[in-house]
Amino acid sequence: MSKPSALEEKLDHLQHHFIDSDQQFEASKMGMWVFLVTEILFFGGLFVAYIAYRAWYPDLYLLASTELDTFWGAVNTAVLIGSSLTVAMAIRSAQLNQIKGLIINLYITIGLACVFMVIKYFEYAHKFEKGILPGSYYSYEGIAHEKANIFFSIYYMMTGLHGVHVLVGIGLMIWLVIKAKKKVFHSGYYTPVEITGLYWHLVDIIWIFLFPLLYLID
Amino acid sequence: MSGHHISSAKFLWGVAISLFMLTFITVAVTWVAIPEPWNVVVAIAIAVVKAIIVSAFFMNLYWDTKFHSMLFVLSIVFFLLFIGITLLDTLYRTDPIPSF
Repeated sequence: MSKPSALEEKLDHLQHHFIDSDQQFEASKMGMWVFLVTEILFFGGLFVAYIAYRAWYPDLYLLASTELDTFWGAVNTAVLIGSSLTVAMAIRSAQLNQIKGLIINLYITIGLACVFMVIKYFEYAHKFEKGILPGSYYSYEGIAHEKANIFFSIYYMMTGLHGVHVLVGIGLMIWLVIKAKKKVFHSGYYTPVEITGLYWHLVDIIWIFLFPLLYLID
Repeated sequence: MSGHHISSAKFLWGVAISLFMLTFITVAVTWVAIPEPWNVVVAIAIAVVKAIIVSAFFMNLYWDTKFHSMLFVLSIVFFLLFIGITLLDTLYRTDPIPSF
């Protein structure tokens, strides 16, 4: 930190209550990790519901998951992993002061996130048409199990909450693009990019578990 | 600085390709009929490996301060506790659930 050029560095971002950029960066990042802990426990409740009901009705899960299309689930997994790669590339671009690369990578990430949501939309629409709706709205006759609606209540809650997180992620990415275009970010300050990246990777990790647990049972 | 590790583009691509391959493997193992409890074990094991790869090399935990790894691991520990204590109830009920 005692570089001779320190005085010439851009320090607009530095809040007065931090000693230097590194301290501010580390504080933000730790705050984000604490938030991610709450996110894991937030989704954890739904995973626990999944596990408790699977222990009660193992045959229901085998039957009901045949209604989910493994192909599109796998495509969406690949799309999210690809978007994690582009977010990591965006952070790398910011670290190297390549603002153009940062913006391009953010655009690709937004595009991939939209692809994910469009696929999810078609999956939902296809089920709604058949009458596969959550809870008491369930009216599909094709699954020979009296508790079939329970599997889909859990499915819609888990993928729905995940989908909301993807939408929030898209919003955050758009915000990052706007800030990047205003030349806010440079190699000395890219904290929002780093932290949004952490969030995005966690959304990816959650999907990595949802995919085998919901689509790959049969 | 621990928080400013810069990965090479090649390395990041390598991480993504390994994740794509594991995704393929997790789908491919369902084509082989693995007996009941083990298909779930294999699926979860592959997902855990993928999650470790993402958290270590995309979320930079490998180069980061150990404190962030500790936060992450502790959240998993409490999640497992959550599962364990819930199952102690739900698995040992004589009458599973009345109406839902």
